[in-house]
Amino acid sequence: MNNIIEILFVGLLIGGIFGFALEKARVFEPGMIIGQLQLRNFIMLKVFLTAVATGLVIFSVFQFLGFERLNWKIAVYKADIVGGLVLGIGVALAGACPGTLFAQLGAGYKDALGTLVGAFLGAITFFKLQAYLQVNLLTGYPNEKLTLDMLVGLPHWVVASIIFFLILMILFLLESYRKWTDDLGKNYDGLK
Amino acid sequence: MNHSPLIRRKAWSPYFAGIIIGSLQIPVFIYMKSSLGTSSSFGAVACFFNSLWSSSSQSQTCLPTFKPLLQIGIVVGIFLGAYISSTLSNTRRSSISPVWPILLNSQSVFKRFMLAFLGGFFLLFGARIANGCTSGNGISGLALLSIGSYVVITSMFVSGMIVSFFYKKI
Repeated sequence: MNNIIEILFVGLLIGGIFGFALEKARVFEPGMIIGQLQLRNFIMLKVFLTAVATGLVIFSVFQFLGFERLNWKIAVYKADIVGGLVLGIGVALAGACPGTLFAQLGAGYKDALGTLVGAFLGAITFFKLQAYLQVNLLTGYPNEKLTLDMLVGLPHWVVASIIFFLILMILFLLESYRKWTDDLGKNYDGLK
Repeated sequence: MNHSPLIRRKAWSPYFAGIIIGSLQIPVFIYMKSSLGTSSSFGAVACFFNSLWSSSSQSQTCLPTFKPLLQIGIVVGIFLGAYISSTLSNTRRSSISPVWPILLNSQSVFKRFMLAFLGGFFLLFGARIANGCTSGNGISGLALLSIGSYVVITSMFVSGMIVSFFYKKI
């Protein structure tokens, strides 16, 4: 029980920083998220890619220090494609991701309550159908914890560096195309 | 932009915020030997609720690892963090975002609620199929070079862009 409370508390601290940064970045705003999908606002991609690039460095350093490599994602292409497509429909309709919906609630948007209730029902529906989906969707080719470096046959740090500099280049191009301050909007909600 | 202290500013640079969010991999890894994510929290809660009304008691297996529990803490933390941040910078929100009446070409708050509800359903149904959302597959999976995550995130952006195409342009 002590352990459970400790884990929840650590999660609360990590999430607190996460939510603070999501609010400050304005990336939780439906105007920013839909704006990104409509390719007229690029704050979401900038935050997202910067966080990925930071993670690339962190996981590479961890590996350099001798920690075991995290690799939890079992690739099952049909599940990844179907799941990703359904997730994307959800992002476009909700104007939120599973994480940012809590930032929307925290910032005061009331419709995020609808998103939250829908999300619970979505998770419960998945749980109810899991036995059926396991056979028909969730298992299949390649059913392996495949990584990019395994695919191209280069060391982890080389591939991580390539992706890192690719992201830096995209961010540089994005920022020279559109300054982030131009995407905020008068009321910081992505609405010009 | 302005001279108020960092925590009271209305907006941070997306690069600064992105570095902070990405850096959260450090405590998650050190504490849980895991990576940042949010949607597993829903899986555990769904499992728990299910065990309440189904006869077979499965509540023991709702937490095969403590990762979902950490994520429950994280999502509640996100709520509190956004509340504190918006209070400090005076960017509290009410009702719905002003982009919705434009996107939907309708003032109806009910219509927006229904769409949010439907969106939420798709969000978590999809995230559970894909084994992660924008955080787990996106921020973490891409940084871990997992091929499955690259497939998920590409698919997510494709369908999200197609659906958003049907909204009115702003």
